[in-house]
Amino acid sequence: MIRLATFDELDPKLVKDLCKILYQAFAVGAEHSGTVAPPAGMNEPWDAHKLLADAPKVSAFQDDKVLYVTLRKLLPRKLLTGEVPTFGLSQYNGQRAIVSFAHVKNPAENLKQCARYALQELGHTWGLHHCLDPRCAMYPHWTPSYAAGDSQFCVFCRETSEQKIRLAKS
Amino acid sequence: MAEPATIRLAVGDRVVYPNQGLCKVTSIESKEIAGQKLSFVSLLREEDGARVMVPEAKVVSIGVRKVANGDEVEKVLAFLKSDSDKASLDWKARARTNVERMATGGLLGLAEVVKGLQVLSELRPLPTKERELYNDARHLLVAEIAASLSILDADAEDTVDAILFPVGKERPKRTAEEFRAIAGAEDDELGLDGDLMGLEGEEPQEEEQQAEEPAEEASEEEGEEAPKGKKEKAPKAAKAAAPAAEAKKSILSDVDVTLPQASPLAEEPVKRKRGRPPKPKPEGPPPEPKKRGRPPKVKVEASAAAAPEEPKKRGRPPKVKK
Repeated sequence: MIRLATFDELDPKLVKDLCKILYQAFAVGAEHSGTVAPPAGMNEPWDAHKLLADAPKVSAFQDDKVLYVTLRKLLPRKLLTGEVPTFGLSQYNGQRAIVSFAHVKNPAENLKQCARYALQELGHTWGLHHCLDPRCAMYPHWTPSYAAGDSQFCVFCRETSEQKIRLAKS
Repeated sequence: MAEPATIRLAVGDRVVYPNQGLCKVTSIESKEIAGQKLSFVSLLREEDGARVMVPEAKVVSIGVRKVANGDEVEKVLAFLKSDSDKASLDWKARARTNVERMATGGLLGLAEVVKGLQVLSELRPLPTKERELYNDARHLLVAEIAASLSILDADAEDTVDAILFPVGKERPKRTAEEFRAIAGAEDDELGLDGDLMGLEGEEPQEEEQQAEEPAEEASEEEGEEAPKGKKEKAPKAAKAAAPAAEAKKSILSDVDVTLPQASPLAEEPVKRKRGRPPKPKPEGPPPEPKKRGRPPKVKVEASAAAAPEEPKKRGRPPKVKK
């Protein structure tokens, strides 16, 4: 089960449609688990690492995935090889992921784009890595063409995610 | 890099099992098996908790190694930044190299597989098996870098991908020429020239034998200048094809440098014929084409046709009445 927890008040239609797309992509139920308060002492842009670690718990089973959605900006991460923009962060093979729609203009109207970012972060929680196919939602999100793509996986990523989900269920 | 003869393992150490990923040493115990006392190292795969027991004496030969340190990670990142590695276009050679790199190449070997297939994917989509291999290599690479630098897997992957997919840029499109240049060089090294493969069958064999002697001399002369590694790799067969290979090299790469302007080779490049050589045509008139299908029935003569035989009765003959 995928549980969406929002840090901000989002358009209910957007949340509903997002759940629908996530359900279609992973063939796993998706529902909104309500709005939660961000951890205390967070200043915008939010630190994604801190947010991921300290986000309030959402009632979920062990194999459920929790996606925290926010409209606030996330702090770019400084890595060994340079700074990368952060539109989300996730625990690989873990339970939690964060996605930010701060860079999406009018999220309610750009559902596809929002869903693409959400798919990528949730894909990571099922152990998917970045993909080579620019049409796939798992393609690195900082590339210029990423936002224009569809909210779907390539064949390889879809099959891999199906396999991982099947294993998790058994 | 010379591998150590043994590695000392202690309980709690993190090691990398080739093709399996990060493991933790949970115990080192001795067991008696078939009258022999053997020391076993128990490993727990961190990803899924799978357990494996390895005889301590075989730890190194299997390829178990300690997690790479920060310096090694930096070397790997520097390698990924460099624009040096192009995968071979020959899938067999590529597969063989990649499997070897995955098993014994260490962290750098994983990076080589990732980079090679990544660059190849910029030319054409990867076939399923290679896509799986790419995914496995990437998974192992990311996990080890994350363990080495004590960072999240997500950060480790983005560290690698910030190089492979530069921020704000699309991936470049590669052309087959870039790969062919390398493939051509490899062919020369392996001596897979047109003559050896029977691609240029028009040339008689005697000429080849005559050309063998000067070719050997030429290759010996070259050998003094050429680096040792290449010389060792080149098989004897390549020597026979040296003049042709030289001519091809000069045409493909450095016409202006190696050949004088008036050289006939420089003016008119030799076109290599591909595929099977044409069969020699037989002299004389061509034989009649064979008729296909069933041969026509022999016509029965008119007299025989006039008095036809009684048709044979079918079935069992009637019983003789007693």
